[in-house]
Amino acid sequence: MTPLLDVKNLRVTFDTETGPVEAVRGVSFSLGRERLGIVGESGSGKTMTGRSVLRLIRPPGRIAADVMRFDGQDLMKAGEREMRALRGKRIGMVMQDPKYSLNPVMNVGDQLTEGLRRRDGLGRKDARAKALAALEAVQIRDPERVMAAYPHELSGGMGQRVMIAMMLIPEPDLLIADEPTSALDVTVQAEVLSILDGLVKDRGMGLIFISHDLRLVSRFCDRVLVMYKGKVVEELAARDLMQARHPYTQGLLNCLPRIGGDRGPLPGLDRTGDWATEAVA
Amino acid sequence: MSGTQTWRQWLTDPSPSSRRQARLGQWWLAWLRIKRNNLAMAGLVIVGILLFAAAFAPWIAPHDPLVQDLSRRLLPPGTPGNWLGTDDFGRDILSRIIYGSRITLYIIGLVAVTAPVLGLLIGTVAGYFGGWVDAVLMRLTDIFLAFPRLILALALVAVLGPGIENAVLAIALTAWPPYARVARAETLTVRKSDYIAAIRLQGAGPVRIIAGHIVPMCLPSVIIRVTLDMAGVILIAAGLGFLGLGVQPPLPEWGLMISTGRKYLFEQWWVATMPGLAIFIVSLGFNLLGDGLRDVLDPRSAAR
Amino acid sequence: MSLIEIEKLSVTFQAQGREVRAVQDVSFKVEARESYGLVGESGSGKSTILRAICGMAPVSAGAIRLDGQPLNAGRGFARQVQMVFQDPYASLHPRHTIDRTLSEPLAIHGIAESDRRVVKALTDVGLPASFRFRYPHQLSGGQRQRVAIARALMLEPKILLLDEPTSALDASVQAEVLNLLAALREERGLTFLMVSHDLAVIDHMCDRVLVMQHGRAVEELARADLANARMKTDYARSLFEASADRLLEANA
Repeated sequence: MTPLLDVKNLRVTFDTETGPVEAVRGVSFSLGRERLGIVGESGSGKTMTGRSVLRLIRPPGRIAADVMRFDGQDLMKAGEREMRALRGKRIGMVMQDPKYSLNPVMNVGDQLTEGLRRRDGLGRKDARAKALAALEAVQIRDPERVMAAYPHELSGGMGQRVMIAMMLIPEPDLLIADEPTSALDVTVQAEVLSILDGLVKDRGMGLIFISHDLRLVSRFCDRVLVMYKGKVVEELAARDLMQARHPYTQGLLNCLPRIGGDRGPLPGLDRTGDWATEAVA
Repeated sequence: MSGTQTWRQWLTDPSPSSRRQARLGQWWLAWLRIKRNNLAMAGLVIVGILLFAAAFAPWIAPHDPLVQDLSRRLLPPGTPGNWLGTDDFGRDILSRIIYGSRITLYIIGLVAVTAPVLGLLIGTVAGYFGGWVDAVLMRLTDIFLAFPRLILALALVAVLGPGIENAVLAIALTAWPPYARVARAETLTVRKSDYIAAIRLQGAGPVRIIAGHIVPMCLPSVIIRVTLDMAGVILIAAGLGFLGLGVQPPLPEWGLMISTGRKYLFEQWWVATMPGLAIFIVSLGFNLLGDGLRDVLDPRSAAR
Repeated sequence: MSLIEIEKLSVTFQAQGREVRAVQDVSFKVEARESYGLVGESGSGKSTILRAICGMAPVSAGAIRLDGQPLNAGRGFARQVQMVFQDPYASLHPRHTIDRTLSEPLAIHGIAESDRRVVKALTDVGLPASFRFRYPHQLSGGQRQRVAIARALMLEPKILLLDEPTSALDASVQAEVLNLLAALREERGLTFLMVSHDLAVIDHMCDRVLVMQHGRAVEELARADLANARMKTDYARSLFEASADRLLEANA
């Protein structure tokens, strides 16, 4: 079965005044209609990986890959127009903070229907109906009020749900979620994740879930990719996480404080292994 | 610092061992960034030529700018010995332009050290204290902003008499309000930062906070504005010279040269056009430099 | 007598003609050498209480007492109470070297031997002395936060206010910084008032916890209560359940 997304040897390089800096150094993975988590700390390259799939990296950044194919289509060779047709329609992206990813000067209704009317040519009434249905799908109880509201009038959790609704209206095959719940309160996180979970399962979408929270990703995804300094250090099924072999993954699992845990010093990350001291070429 | 380090290594040392080394290292990196911008470098070269001409005028000018030679009046450009031609008194235009660069530099130098400094002071104090201090200072700024420069210059000249210092005074008095506005806007943003809260919590008083913490954050915007304003200042000085309000003849100020050359514009066009070109090129140079500096000093990229 | 006493504190902001009641009628006491936590979600008012103690928020009712004395905003305050801020990218002046950031409090209070003290401060927080003349943008988030901690300790205060000190840091770096804070508290007998949205961090670092919601105090819990899930209020329980570590439950 051909995978939905196939990536081999992805490299992202930035040309700075002090020389080229590689943010992603040879990452390979493939994704079917399943949930893949990409976990790493800041500087690991996880966000750059997500953006590369959509070719959203601007100069001075450069993307290079041996293979980057979405449903048979070569993403590396696709022109800008073809990428625009893919973005939003077949591959959606949900970002971290709805404050920054929703247009602050348009109300929610306009933002939801804009794509439908421009790209799909729907009339006003049809577009509105679809938008309302999408808001209901993310369990927003009074969609009419939310349609008329502006992003700054919504709470964080509500805003993120609107973002998800917006990305799911065109019914994409693949959704890339970059830290979708990191800006939310802890009690709201669980709600938003369960909504996302339900939608992904119902529609048979592929999901790439990027996060710094290893435990969260393990609860939510089928497979997990652990990244460090631009490389994938371990790839495993989420249920096998406790048997992780790589010292970095083990370190990440163990270094978080736990409620009821002992109060002695938390085990830090042992950064003396080869994998850590290897120079970033 | 090891004795065998080259100066370049010294500047890019990741662990500097003194404040001076750290600061020079940052300036070196900023210089590398400017070098990448070709237009900014062009601007820098032009400004450099201006500075060079002003500094070495007596040695590079082929003739004395003030000596008249009525037998050699109104010679066209390309005449051997007078590459840019001569004016109506037989004075070499090239030499006058070179000496005129000193006057131009004097004017913009004086304005650059008075107007932005005053504006920075008023803007940061207004922004930091807020309340009635802000209201009073901003109304004062509004009043000065409303003055048209040339009218003010006329008024000053009427009272104090014409001359270069009065022209500078007129320009400076109307140039400071935009700097106050810019500084105030930056201060309002910076004031809310955690690092300001931290230093207040450590018991710092307003003088230390404004001078040591807020002004450094306002400097990039002010410096960029100064370079971009330079073009405007040159033009106003030229305008004042043109009206006879600033520099007096026979000094070779470029605006004054255009004014006196006006009579000959159609037949002996070079008398007015050459100084005009000089003004154009220098203004362009400052504009390009200012744009380049904006890329380098932009706090968003510098305050990573 | 408690070192910090907050009694029926209310903080109200005026924003665009409306009143925002950030803190309503909150009371608690922190004993000397204790580590006390304030936990809650966004809008709970926990950070506002810290700012009120520093005189940076408008107190509309109630009292704050340090060592029995009402708050006095003079120079002496700086030598009693210091704060570590949340965002390591915003709490250090971007144009000042680390050396200047650390020696400035000494200069303000006329404390001598600043050279020796600055180097000692750096080594106390686990940074090499060679970092002394670097700028903040040349340091990582964790390193900057260490500098922020060093800065807070330059004036040798008795009380340290910590506003989400590790939320902006990576997990592995968070562990190191929390360990550092615990060690410093032990060595110097400091009193901590720590704010966080992360119950696990608070549980690890604090002896007692006050759960807050919408500006009000919901429930005070001792560490043992937290570990054994002995919460009395629903909100505290829902917070606990959302934060507790249930690693493989949903995936089974």
